[in-house]
Amino acid sequence: MQIPAAIWLVAIPLLATPVVYLAGHIGRAAAADLSGQVTARWGALIALAVAFFPFAQATHELAIYGPSTFAVGLINLRADGLTLLMAGLVLALGIAVILSGEPTMAQDADEVKFYALLLIMIGTTIGLVSAGDLFNLWLWFETMSISSYLLVAFYRDQPTTLEAGVKYLVQSSAGSVLVLLGVALVLAQTGTLDLAQIQATATASPGLLAAGALFLVGFGVKAALVPLHTWLPDAYTQAPSGVSAILSGVVTEAGLIGMLRALSMLAGTRLSWGMLLIAFGALNMLVGNFLALRQRQVKRLLAYSSLTHIGYMLLGLGIGIYAGQLTAAQGGFFHLITHGLMKGLAFLAAGALLQALRAADSERSPLTITDLNGAARRYPMVALVLSIALLGLGGLPPLAGFMSEWQIFTGGFLTRNAVIEGLVVFAGTMSVMSMAYYVPLVNAIYRQETSEAVRAGTSLPAVTLLPLLLLALAVIAIGIWPRLVEWLTAPAGAALVAALKG
Amino acid sequence: MAGYLALAVILVPWLGALAVWWAGDERRLAQHALAIVFALVTAVLSLMLLPVVSAQVVLSLSAGASFGTFTFVLDGLGVFLAIIAATIGTLAVIFSVDYMAGEAQLGRYYSLILLFIGAMIGLVLTGSLLLLFFFWEITAFCSYALISFHNDDPKAVSGGIRALIVTQVGGVGLLAGALAIYSVLGSFQIGGFLDQAEALPPGMLRWMAFGFLLAAAAKSAQVPFHTWLPDAMEAPTPVTALIHAATMVNAGVYLLARFYPAFAPVGGWKVAVVTVGVVSAVLAAVMGLVAVDIKRVLAYSTISQLGYMVYAIGVGGVFASQFHLMSHAVYKALLFLGAGAVAHIIGTRDMRQMGGLGREMPFVRAVFLVGALALAGLPVLNGFWSKELVLEAGLGGGPLWAYIAMLLCAGLTALYTFRMVWMVFYGTRRSEGAVHDAPLAMRLSLVVLALGTLTSWVSAGPFGQMLARSLPFHTLDVASTGQIVLTVLMAWPTWLALAIVALGLSAWWWRERLAKFTSRLRFLARAAAGDFGFAWLDEAIVRTAQGTAEKLSLTQTGQLNWNVLGVVAGLVVVLVFLIWRA
Repeated sequence: MQIPAAIWLVAIPLLATPVVYLAGHIGRAAAADLSGQVTARWGALIALAVAFFPFAQATHELAIYGPSTFAVGLINLRADGLTLLMAGLVLALGIAVILSGEPTMAQDADEVKFYALLLIMIGTTIGLVSAGDLFNLWLWFETMSISSYLLVAFYRDQPTTLEAGVKYLVQSSAGSVLVLLGVALVLAQTGTLDLAQIQATATASPGLLAAGALFLVGFGVKAALVPLHTWLPDAYTQAPSGVSAILSGVVTEAGLIGMLRALSMLAGTRLSWGMLLIAFGALNMLVGNFLALRQRQVKRLLAYSSLTHIGYMLLGLGIGIYAGQLTAAQGGFFHLITHGLMKGLAFLAAGALLQALRAADSERSPLTITDLNGAARRYPMVALVLSIALLGLGGLPPLAGFMSEWQIFTGGFLTRNAVIEGLVVFAGTMSVMSMAYYVPLVNAIYRQETSEAVRAGTSLPAVTLLPLLLLALAVIAIGIWPRLVEWLTAPAGAALVAALKG
Repeated sequence: MAGYLALAVILVPWLGALAVWWAGDERRLAQHALAIVFALVTAVLSLMLLPVVSAQVVLSLSAGASFGTFTFVLDGLGVFLAIIAATIGTLAVIFSVDYMAGEAQLGRYYSLILLFIGAMIGLVLTGSLLLLFFFWEITAFCSYALISFHNDDPKAVSGGIRALIVTQVGGVGLLAGALAIYSVLGSFQIGGFLDQAEALPPGMLRWMAFGFLLAAAAKSAQVPFHTWLPDAMEAPTPVTALIHAATMVNAGVYLLARFYPAFAPVGGWKVAVVTVGVVSAVLAAVMGLVAVDIKRVLAYSTISQLGYMVYAIGVGGVFASQFHLMSHAVYKALLFLGAGAVAHIIGTRDMRQMGGLGREMPFVRAVFLVGALALAGLPVLNGFWSKELVLEAGLGGGPLWAYIAMLLCAGLTALYTFRMVWMVFYGTRRSEGAVHDAPLAMRLSLVVLALGTLTSWVSAGPFGQMLARSLPFHTLDVASTGQIVLTVLMAWPTWLALAIVALGLSAWWWRERLAKFTSRLRFLARAAAGDFGFAWLDEAIVRTAQGTAEKLSLTQTGQLNWNVLGVVAGLVVVLVFLIWRA
């Protein structure tokens, strides 16, 4: 029997995990040098690269046959536009993170564990976005969360990191319990957990509405809706930068996808969900911007800016759900991709600088904006790509963020609804406001007078630059020619609107 | 063919930006040379556009759903502004060889200038609203990055950020207008919109018209958004001459001119445009009278002259506005570069420390005087002809109060111009140290611009005909240069305007005798020196935003109890909403 590509896509990272872990440990036991870590790193890299084959195959099949469902025992897997969009993004970012090779520079003995956990997180994220029934949705969500707690608290000998990990754990668990309650409610009401079946049969009953509210808030914790977001700044700041890149670029959004999947069975009440998502989107933009405005720490600033960008996605997806607006939904997913690339790039570049400037500092004190003064003079390439990432996040053309925001805004105006048009103008103003904190950072990087930290910094290995340059090129290319990712965003947008059309 | 030419004239300077950056800051000579070569090639390419001017779309690339088609049109309006951007850009780059000698980070400087030139050309040549906004934002970015070029100076940094934010806030108006057009017509094509504007719902057209006016006012530094331009004077002077006098600030005027046929019938729009233009022209002229920083005087004068162009469009004189734009671009670039030469050589921009510099710098004085006379509107320089055309268009098509205000403003212009010339080049020296005349590369740029100031008006006729030929939606009243000269000289308003200018001149001449009168105007001078409170307004907004941010960050306690309370509160809010909806 031939195993479908969609199953391989989930299976490869998960199957590779024990192999990578064991091979890394055996290598370390055999030779007392770094070879075990090198083995683990290459193993993880190869596993992710191989996963691109089933990805390509699944994309091809989707284009020809449309969405499909596969069963592996009791587990239902679904391959549609949403699945492939997230899978492609998480694989690409995963490869970038491994290539940038942060733990190597940190001289961290646990590197083998890092790669194994990273593979689990990537595999479970793909599993989450391809779950076909509610219980598996929750199960994947939990496993993804558990792997991410361990990664956030990776530098476990530091109190601040542990604090961040615990906060993340407690808040996510609270969210997770709400999701589980929601699942129980749905089962009690309908007697089934299959998403497609529920959607076909269920009518809007108070019980199902309550379940929807539980899903919205439960997944909303992971997706960092304001005011459920409070774990996020600590987690992003304390995690290794590569992990921050994947957390902000994909894992947070995976929570969003989980929410959309769970809500899609309640298609009959899509107006309410659309309104709620739009409202949370506006709140996220506003609060994220204000909190980032006076932030002096680089990674914390990037963390708060993620709130704002989740807000743009919520706006696009919310309009897509509320008005059945395909363009807005597609724009929301487009922004998910561009934000993933730009924020991933920003965290990786900031991480590279953090490693270089804090090499001598065993405390890993946080990187502030003033620390970056004059960084361009010593690290011209990293400074350039970080600036590209920041300006792209601020929505400047010719960078990717401009085009995805444009598509969301276009979708908003296509509804011809005055309130939504007003919200689009508000979102545009928020984008302008965000420049007020990205731009001073860019200014600092290009100063003549260098900071103490930059003068004392160590040099960076050239290989670190490779993933940064690739991501920067992608950000520019998409900004000039937005069609480049249409093959991913169009099916995803169509899948969302179709799922909620009812 | 023409399509590739259009693409080349945008991409060549961008390639140049890459090349200069690639050369690296250690090879300064190569950077200077590369910048000049790429700018020159761009200028030549832009001139090659002249024979292919037409209203046709020359290049169109389908960018997929919701991004429309990326198109380029080589019509007279676009090609004319592209030529200005490329040629004055080249002169600014040449001037920079002397001006930036010894400065660090040349690569960043030249790359941003070349990036700007390409973006500005793209802005005026594109036929797609999406790309218009795309290039609009890139020019705003380059402007900010060059104002803040000296990143160690907090004034330069805050000036750059202010310029960026203010123009982007205005840009939201353009964004909303463009999206509204797409939502009705399903396309971002400017030509298609101008063709079908009458068929649009009037309420919607009204929003678009005022949205675009907002964007234009912010970009062209019109009241109340003008505050960013004086602060932008922290930029290196060649940048000021190029971006903040000759090109980017004209983008707002370009926008109004481009869309005039669609918006002219909108009730109240023309009056609003006239009002913005008149208020900006008069207020800025008064502020120019009391400023003491030579570049700030010129900045206020730029706001004031842009006010004339905006006014001209409001009264229907699209050709007059574009003609004045051409004159102003040339003579204001000349004045800025001249002022830059002076400030560069004596090391300050404060006019109170200048005086009597004419003896040591006869060359700079000569070319500066040419520019100043053009600014004051004296014959036969280019500023004279274009300003007269603007005023005549105003008398013919606009309200009388506006005409009278603009007429008086011409007198004010003459007054602040001569005050500036006098304080810099005449009287007694108030500074010490050796002073020399401008070096070679500076002279080259200055001479070309001075010649342009003397002669550019000769092209008025062909220029007007080129516009009339290639702008199918505008109705332009154009004539040959000879006819224009005759009409201007035979018309009584010309002589009236000249008399007012002479009055302004003599006010400076008899300033001591008028002392009794002017001392009564102290309050006005104080208000003008304080920017009539607009700068305070800006700062109040910034303070409020920052204060709110500080207060809001107090809610982020970092304590787990509060965090979980947030989760629960979120659930309660969602449930309440659902109950209310059900």
